Amino acid sequence: MSRQPLDFSLNLGIDNSRRNSVFDVWIVTSVFLLSLLGISMIYSASQSVEMALRQGIYMVFGFVVLTIISFSNFRKMEVFYLYSYWPGLFLLIIVLFFSNENNETSRWIDLGMFTIQPSELMRFLLPLSAAAFLSRKPSISNFDYLVVFVLTLLATFLVLLQPDLGTALIVLLSGILPILLGGLPWRYIYLGAFVTVCSLPLIWFSLYEYQQQRILTLFNPEADIYGAGWNIAQSKIAIGSGGFWGKGYLNGSQSQLNFIPESHSDFIFSVISEEFGLIGVLFLMFLYGLLIYRLILISIKHQNRFAKILSATLSTILLAYISINICMVIGLLPVVGMPLPFVSQGGTALIINLVTIGIILSLRRET
Amino acid sequence: MKGKQFLTDQSILRRIFLFLFPFLILLIFAFLQILNLMVFQAEKFKTQADSNRILKEKVFPPRGLIFDTNDEIIVDNFIRQDLVVTPNFIEDYSLYLSLLSELVEIEKNTLEQVFYKKLSEIKPFQSFTLLRDLNDRQLAKVKLNFKDLPGTEINSSFSRNVVFGESSGAVTGYLGFASKQDILINPNLKNFNDQQVGLLGIEKEFDDELRGTVGYRYSEKDARGGVLDVLSVEPSTKGKNIKLSIDIELQDKLYKEFRGRKGALIAIEPDTGFIRAMISSPSYNPNFFNNFKTEEIKLLFQNKNSPLFNRAISGQYPPASTLKPFIGLVALEEDVITWQEKILDEGEFFVEGDKRPYTGWKEGGHGEVNMEKAIAESSDVYFYNIAYDLTVNSIAPFLKKFGFGKSSDLFINESQGILPDKKWKLGQKGEFWFKGDTINMGIGQGYILATPLQIALAYSALINGGKLISPRIVQSIEGEETKFVSEKIEIKDIQNLEYIKESLISVVESNTGTAKNIFDPKLRIAGKTGTAQVKSILDDNKYQEIRENVLLRDHALFVGYGPVEDPSIVVVAIVENGESGSLVAAPIVQKAINLYEQ
Repeated sequence: MSRQPLDFSLNLGIDNSRRNSVFDVWIVTSVFLLSLLGISMIYSASQSVEMALRQGIYMVFGFVVLTIISFSNFRKMEVFYLYSYWPGLFLLIIVLFFSNENNETSRWIDLGMFTIQPSELMRFLLPLSAAAFLSRKPSISNFDYLVVFVLTLLATFLVLLQPDLGTALIVLLSGILPILLGGLPWRYIYLGAFVTVCSLPLIWFSLYEYQQQRILTLFNPEADIYGAGWNIAQSKIAIGSGGFWGKGYLNGSQSQLNFIPESHSDFIFSVISEEFGLIGVLFLMFLYGLLIYRLILISIKHQNRFAKILSATLSTILLAYISINICMVIGLLPVVGMPLPFVSQGGTALIINLVTIGIILSLRRET
Repeated sequence: MKGKQFLTDQSILRRIFLFLFPFLILLIFAFLQILNLMVFQAEKFKTQADSNRILKEKVFPPRGLIFDTNDEIIVDNFIRQDLVVTPNFIEDYSLYLSLLSELVEIEKNTLEQVFYKKLSEIKPFQSFTLLRDLNDRQLAKVKLNFKDLPGTEINSSFSRNVVFGESSGAVTGYLGFASKQDILINPNLKNFNDQQVGLLGIEKEFDDELRGTVGYRYSEKDARGGVLDVLSVEPSTKGKNIKLSIDIELQDKLYKEFRGRKGALIAIEPDTGFIRAMISSPSYNPNFFNNFKTEEIKLLFQNKNSPLFNRAISGQYPPASTLKPFIGLVALEEDVITWQEKILDEGEFFVEGDKRPYTGWKEGGHGEVNMEKAIAESSDVYFYNIAYDLTVNSIAPFLKKFGFGKSSDLFINESQGILPDKKWKLGQKGEFWFKGDTINMGIGQGYILATPLQIALAYSALINGGKLISPRIVQSIEGEETKFVSEKIEIKDIQNLEYIKESLISVVESNTGTAKNIFDPKLRIAGKTGTAQVKSILDDNKYQEIRENVLLRDHALFVGYGPVEDPSIVVVAIVENGESGSLVAAPIVQKAINLYEQ
């Protein structure tokens, strides 16, 4: 394959001639504020300067990459995007051979300095290459959809093996969305929905017992307040006790005294609620709302198919993350490992989210 | 394969919204739930967060101490270190118990038994005491390895030590855990449900005073139960100290007099009601219970001599001849006989219609006896005669005034004894009262039963001029004196009491008195012997046979008081199967009075 080397097109002067400014200020600001909020909440929840600092470094790195990508010419990158699925798949297979000290399969590949979470990577690489694949020709054949679908199922299956139910669902979603947005005829969509509904019982029995337990707990959290329901009960106490104004930064007793599980990652929303109250929650939702609105706007306005599919998929996945995570910590959905985008602790997720934003920003320049 | 055109702007927009829609719905639900939690239920959750955060711990007060009348300490507290665990913070029980077993050098099996039993009794996140009274070595090892023992705490608590052990067991009683029923009866015990409370003796009778009240310590804790900071303390009130009327030196010495024998002794002041010694033999060491010595406790319960039974207040014995002075008194009061009037005692008493005579203890009888002689020599025939004339209808009510057949309310586990009359017999035995029952009652045999305490109270009333006193074993509670309560017994002629006292002096001082062996001019004492039949003897041939079995031998009784000139103490001693009141019981009483007078 002989292609030009990566062209990051850092010549701002040329881009200034275009109708829109390079950066969508709203998107960048909201992402920046969310990441900053994340770091400060991670510090509050963990009381570990090191953890907050580490997240800060990821954020800086992520923003550097975001900037570079947003100035790159995405058209020249398309071929890389097209094949990006394969390294992702490779890492997903590799991770199965890694195990932690408890002899359980790990979700992370430890590279000494930092760790990579291949499943997180896949839920970004899959829609990227799927969108590129489906828009490489003027028309999309049914076979193209099938290819994407099969590769999506393969990736989902590998993530399920880890086992990581939450991310597996996101990976599945991130592969199916490009197909649906690409224009799959409705009859296939109906058929797919029908098959899914019919296989629900099968899915239930293939779940691990602890996963079933989490789902059962959802319907009757008081039944087992000291067992599986404990985490949710404590999280609800934290959120509810925050009240309107919150208890103040670093003053949430539930978070500070370790009543909230995983308070720096999946349950960070509880910490925000407890310490900043309803006001804080509204502010957070405003930031997310702004971000998703601007992302959808790009998808609608953009004339390029790749950009439309990718931007719509990524913003939908972002919304999925946000809604599932929040529903999870307030006890409306079972607890599946799913972080709050930009806010929860976790380097891979943050960098990938920022890279996603970078790519969407680079697409935006073409509008 | 036919390719498809890409969707139009409008249809892609529709699809985008279609896929965003479920998540938007989710978010709307989430937002409603958040509003519900943070606005409408905020107060509830704030309270819950506070109760999460604030650990309310009971602080137990030291139990009141118990002193004797000379302010010598009888029951003391010392600090004990217990190991308390909260199982929720332990990940692997087996691993934990193995480590602990190594540290405290107790077999893992033993630990497991206690651990899993208690685990089944608690709610999640509750803790329990796994090991009590750690020694210094165990304590040091556990403290060194605290980091590897999550959910483990060392709690100091008070342990009870009865200084004189067995000697004072019948008085002090012991501690243990209140049963659910105890707590139902006395709700004050609820706060002490995991603490030792009084189960017997003074510890039980005065538990409310000795216990004190629980205080609370509020501290901030984290989710693993670790205490971060003490916020406030609501202090406990310590239990009240109790001063007993018991003279522990007297008690200790007299208990040793009984060594090897079953029996009881009560020493009481007839003018104050203070009990100076209360002995039940054999007794037990309350520290076995107080300090959880399960092996020793098991042995106590297996012991056939019932060491836990307080014979002095709960043992019911035939009063035997010690009842005669009261029969004499009622005869004088009822004018059935005069002081000097004589009756011929030839060793047998016949009742019309009965083939078998009622025999006296002395073959051939005592000859012509008046009341003084009859009491001094303990003539049975004399008392058969007057009892026969008196009838049970006048004897029983009179004895009741002297405290027979009713509880003195000293201790809750006191027996009432039996004061039989016609109604009692019909009710209990389903039979009519026979003349013979009255005749037997005249010498304190038959159905009548009394506790050593009742006999002591009755004699006190004889001596103090006819006052039935309420016995007291507690002199003061936290410096506050207990009240002396007595009931005046109606006596028609006070001279009659003097007559009876004269005859009780003759028991010891006359040449023919049954207790002349204890006469000592230096400290004159008066009293009455008694020999209580354990099994009624139908004919003399069987007597030797019966003697063979120690448990069927007669009980030896003696009631004494002294000094005669101005009696300050009444002492009742019963030696079970001791056979001779004068030779076995009387010397103990004499020793008691001598020791008391010193």
